[in-house]
Amino acid sequence: MTIGDRTPNPRAYDAVTGRTRFADDLTFPGMLHARLVRSPHAHARVVAIDAAAALALPGVHAVITAADLPTPFGVIPWTQDEHALAAKARFVGDPVACVAAVDEQTAIRAAALVDVTWEVLPHVLEPAAALAPEAPRVNELAKHGNVTKSVQLAFGDLDAALAGSDAVVAASYDFAGSTHAALEPHCAIGQWDPAGGLTVVSTTQVPHYLHRELARVLELAEDRVRVIQPPLGGGFGGKSEPFGHELCVGKLAMMTGRPVKLRLTREEVFYTHRGRHPMHLDVRLGATRDGRLTGCDLRVLIDGGAYASFGLVTTYYAGQLVTAPLRLSAFRLDTTRAYTNKPPCGPKRGHGSVQPRFAFEVTVDRLAEALDLDPIELRRRNCLEAGERTINEFLVRSTGFRDCLDRVERASDWKRKHRQLPFGRGVGVAGSFYISGTNYPIYPNEMPQSAVQLKVDRSGKVTVFSGACEMGQGVEAMLTAIVCEELGVAPGAVRVVTGDTDLTPVDLGGYSSRTTMMAGNACLRAARDLAARVAEVAGADWRTRPPVEAFRVAEARLGALGAVGSYDTPKDVHGAYRGGTIGASPAYSFTAHVAEVTVDVETGQVRVDRLWVAHDCGRALRPQIVEGQIEGSAYMGLGEALFEEQAFHPSGLHRGPSLLDYGLPTTLDTPDIVAMIVEGGDPEGPYGAKEAGEGPLHPSIPAIANAIHDAVGIRLDALPFSPARVLAALTPRPTGRS
Amino acid sequence: MRSSDGSLIEVHLTVNGDAVRRAVPPERTLAELLREDLLLTGCKQGCDQGDCGACTVLVDGRAQLACLTLVVAIDGATIETVEGLQQRGRLHPLQAAFVAHGAAQCGFCTPGMLLSAVALLRASPRASRDEIRAGLAGNLCRCTGYVKIIDAVEAVARGDDEEPAP
Amino acid sequence: MQPLPPLAWSAPTTIDEVVAALAEGVPGEVRLHAGGTDLVPNLKRGVTSARRLIGLGRVAELQELVDGPADALGVGAAVTLDDLGRDPRVVARWPAVAEAARQVASPQLRRMATLGGNLCLDTRCRFYDQSAFWRGALGGCLKADGDACHVVPTGRKCVAACCADTPAPLIAAGAELELASVRGPRRVHVADFFAGDGARNHTLAPDELLVRVWLPAPAPGTRAGYQRLRRRGAIDFPLLTVAATVVVERDVVRAVTVVVGALGAVPRRLRGLDALAVGRPLDAAVRAAIAAAATRQCHPLDNLGDAAWRQAVVAPLVRRTLEALEPATAPDAASLR
Ligand SMILES: Cc1cc2nc3c(=O)[nH]c(=O)nc-3n(C[C@H](O)[C@H](O)[C@H](O)COP(=O)(O)OP(=O)(O)OC[C@H]3O[C@@H](n4cnc5c(N)ncnc54)[C@H](O)[C@@H]3O)c2cc1C
Ligand code: SF4
Ligand code: FES
Ligand code: FES
Repeated sequence: MTIGDRTPNPRAYDAVTGRTRFADDLTFPGMLHARLVRSPHAHARVVAIDAAAALALPGVHAVITAADLPTPFGVIPWTQDEHALAAKARFVGDPVACVAAVDEQTAIRAAALVDVTWEVLPHVLEPAAALAPEAPRVNELAKHGNVTKSVQLAFGDLDAALAGSDAVVAASYDFAGSTHAALEPHCAIGQWDPAGGLTVVSTTQVPHYLHRELARVLELAEDRVRVIQPPLGGGFGGKSEPFGHELCVGKLAMMTGRPVKLRLTREEVFYTHRGRHPMHLDVRLGATRDGRLTGCDLRVLIDGGAYASFGLVTTYYAGQLVTAPLRLSAFRLDTTRAYTNKPPCGPKRGHGSVQPRFAFEVTVDRLAEALDLDPIELRRRNCLEAGERTINEFLVRSTGFRDCLDRVERASDWKRKHRQLPFGRGVGVAGSFYISGTNYPIYPNEMPQSAVQLKVDRSGKVTVFSGACEMGQGVEAMLTAIVCEELGVAPGAVRVVTGDTDLTPVDLGGYSSRTTMMAGNACLRAARDLAARVAEVAGADWRTRPPVEAFRVAEARLGALGAVGSYDTPKDVHGAYRGGTIGASPAYSFTAHVAEVTVDVETGQVRVDRLWVAHDCGRALRPQIVEGQIEGSAYMGLGEALFEEQAFHPSGLHRGPSLLDYGLPTTLDTPDIVAMIVEGGDPEGPYGAKEAGEGPLHPSIPAIANAIHDAVGIRLDALPFSPARVLAALTPRPTGRS
Repeated sequence: MRSSDGSLIEVHLTVNGDAVRRAVPPERTLAELLREDLLLTGCKQGCDQGDCGACTVLVDGRAQLACLTLVVAIDGATIETVEGLQQRGRLHPLQAAFVAHGAAQCGFCTPGMLLSAVALLRASPRASRDEIRAGLAGNLCRCTGYVKIIDAVEAVARGDDEEPAP
Repeated sequence: MQPLPPLAWSAPTTIDEVVAALAEGVPGEVRLHAGGTDLVPNLKRGVTSARRLIGLGRVAELQELVDGPADALGVGAAVTLDDLGRDPRVVARWPAVAEAARQVASPQLRRMATLGGNLCLDTRCRFYDQSAFWRGALGGCLKADGDACHVVPTGRKCVAACCADTPAPLIAAGAELELASVRGPRRVHVADFFAGDGARNHTLAPDELLVRVWLPAPAPGTRAGYQRLRRRGAIDFPLLTVAATVVVERDVVRAVTVVVGALGAVPRRLRGLDALAVGRPLDAAVRAAIAAAATRQCHPLDNLGDAAWRQAVVAPLVRRTLEALEPATAPDAASLR
């Protein structure tokens, strides 16, 4: 296995044989099962909880409520506005009590016997209403009314830029909320050992942040807490912060002395949510006659749901991340995240920036139309160059966006299709960029963002210890490839240990597309350090012989063999203004999509016939995995574009919390996706690599929207592009191309 | 065979070639039996109500949903799960193809997907890409966009030489 | 994850044993289990009081397709939709029924799901097909533990929809049902089997078993078709179904039946079509006239959501069904003997 080859992912063998042990596949002797008691009201104070009947049920071991876990928590230290069990429910499904019993059936029955007396409060579901002075206060731990965060920033002279434009397009968009729907529902198991302390096995993308919050909320020293993260059955951001149910199993394990498992039903996963924020976006974008973009004015109202989650970051991302790949001469953003009585929104693949990207790319398409320019050509005329800073001062060290545009243009036969296909069929283009990790950790500290330890011995086996999170995106394959490349060993000689805070050094987790950049660099450093030491004693030509021979020489001469490596980000890649660090990344990936669609003008049904995606990931360490990330991202975008929505009744009740009602695309809804890798190399990435897991989602939605416009002449400014919405937009039928 | 009061009922099954005799309550689903009693956790529960296909196993050779199957209703049946696909330590050609094509990302849908594919290719060994799409339409995957899954099944259907992986 | 409530089970082997077991049971508590693909999710959601299940899997007679008099075909109630959709006789002579069977749910579900279960499928409504917690949060509804309907707030009757695929084409094919109980057998046209109450949309007595569905031989010149709308290409229940049977003789229509399903509790057979079509060729004008009649007669409700959109697509779906009819061939020589 070497960098860039197509050796299969070593994890795939476990996957195809059913040997992968996901959290819910684990059982422990004497294990109890827990179930949460959830609020049927969108906003209601718990007046009293009578657990006597539940406790009287044979087999019930404990019932806990808000009073048992009084410390507020939250992933961002400045907005810890959540309790494991709420004393005031803030959305339908907010947990207020938790029951542990001998088996799941008993826990369910006991949960139904927990008698909660509610004082129902007025609720608010829409962010605009939530910001009105008379609105009910959703979250008392919020610092300013119903506002999580509000950001106003300006770069350049926007008014002058727009005034000097030959065309200015103003448009408004409504992006519907959607959820991750990883196929594996969340599951956590707590175990208490009076000597060793607390172990929580959980479906978490962030073992380290969970570790911290478990210690803080359960009042344990951090060295008495261990978090184990088994391989995840998908995450996509839905498991990337500490959750109340994880704190509950910890508490219940401590109280009962027994292992306690809590697995969410699919319905509960929809309530737990932390998915894509609904946003209302107003955009103004100008350009000169010759197709040079000028100023962009972006205002975004963000529907946050009941808790902050990563909302502080979301509020920045919703504005800050439209400033590449196209150059702007002026930019103003005004974004506000409001609390509402709905399941909390959070980071879903392309956190915070998929929504403004949709608005921006459709606006660019409108501008191309207004200027009578080809939309690919318009984009080409505005590409930022490598080494340039965006208008909001992010340093872009590498960009392959121009190549991405060329590749999708050629592969899709764009020039012969755009504005030329018969009525009902069309093509659309869109582009985007995304971060390869955040430049700064969630909590301020000076320690590295990722560290890796290598252990080598006379057997020839190399063990990699990394706190990075494997969730199917290929962390182990990536680390294995780096070790194979640097130490010349075969993939079978590499064992990767991840996701265990006792065994592995800290990595901040599987979010913001940071792993290849950060864990990859940490691993590369450790491997190179080790190789250098082996070379010192075994000779510079040690690689010409089987590596185990050199390892034996080295072990004999140097003693135990190991190495550590760590990675932290460069600090000179962003502006010095307040908030300038949020959205800053060591490197940015770039993507372009072309979508081809067929619109059934009688039923409004849209079929995506094909998606061409070119993605600049710097260097594909595992090309097959990169393709898989591109395909999976494009698929997820397609689902949001056509089917998916977290929708609510006026009462605040989720309209259909099941995979049947929510509707993930099936094989029959998903076209062949043509994934093309663009490799320009990035100076900061390991071997030049940048992210590939989230960027490629962004353009799918606007590309489909623009293709629908090309097909039938309608602009869809609200998601999803359901048949009902398409048909409504088609009537009366526009007089366009026919 | 009758339980008038909800008491246990004895069933005989063949699971991956092994004879299994178990007394189960009538409300026991096949997914629960496999996962909890037989520890064959390759059978996944993504929804537990028929919406996702993660629990797909073969019942008398037909791909069905274990989460909606009552064990008492299939007394005498032969069950194949992902754990039984390997023969003498060698991967089934579809397993090998999934590995070679990168068709598994998180792997949560993979067992069900494989069993649907096994049933499909047993019934029509030369299935076309469109037939494969239709045959896998009851198995959701949230990671892959299906492209590499369909590629893998198609490669086996076309008889492309998939090197059986170790 | 979602355990079932405690159940009792029996698995008789003959029709007589089944109907005897049904007669012994308390209505509401005893229930037939065929494929279980509707019953089991409903038990998990707590929307049925069934606690004693009678499995039909061992009753051989229910799994068979039998040739009947006058070239009719009798389909056992426990024949799976997968087998039904592939049966060469059904494919050739009742193509719309076969097509409907092939459209149901997903491949796995079709291998479990039976024709009998499809006809007796519980009606569907987005305010009802949810968990006990969810329905509790909504406050229940007329169909289960509540006193209001969320679809028609002023209504006194549940308007949940018959969302099964096969009823419309079976009605269009003139199919009959053979029922059995300890009181003896009876036959009923599929069209008369349904009743206009979403809480219980069929006329099967609590102690009755659906034994067979009889498909009468299509008249010479019969053409049939079935189309349905769903959100996704698979898994989803239909949001609208259209089945049509047209008998064409020497290029003019002799008879026409169009049935639209997934509206309310009963599949709707369009009225007054003879005046529009009989004696004329089935040309674009006639198809458009039938589609227009469908729009006037069909009024989708919010039971499945998107009522206005479903209303708007009735006409195109009816027209398309009429455009894509397939010949229902006469029985072949072998079955003519
Ligand atoms: C995710 C999902 C998607 C689905 N999509 C569709 C779809 O697209 N179209 C569709 O039509 N259906 C759909 N279904 C519903 C269901 O799978 C089918 O309708 C199926 O045909 C039901 O048959 P069954 O044998 O499984 O019924 P069961 O669940 O066994 O029975 C259903 C009801 O019928 C009664 N019953 C069964 N057999 C008899 C008999 N012989 N005599 C008297 N009563 C009887 C039972 O007592 C029960 O009340 C879907 C189900 C799921 C879970
Ligand atoms: S139609 Fe009305 S009464 Fe019937 S299930 Fe729906 S909400 Fe309930
Ligand atoms: S778990 Fe059986 S279909 Fe989802
Ligand atoms: S590989 Fe993750 S759900 Fe399919």
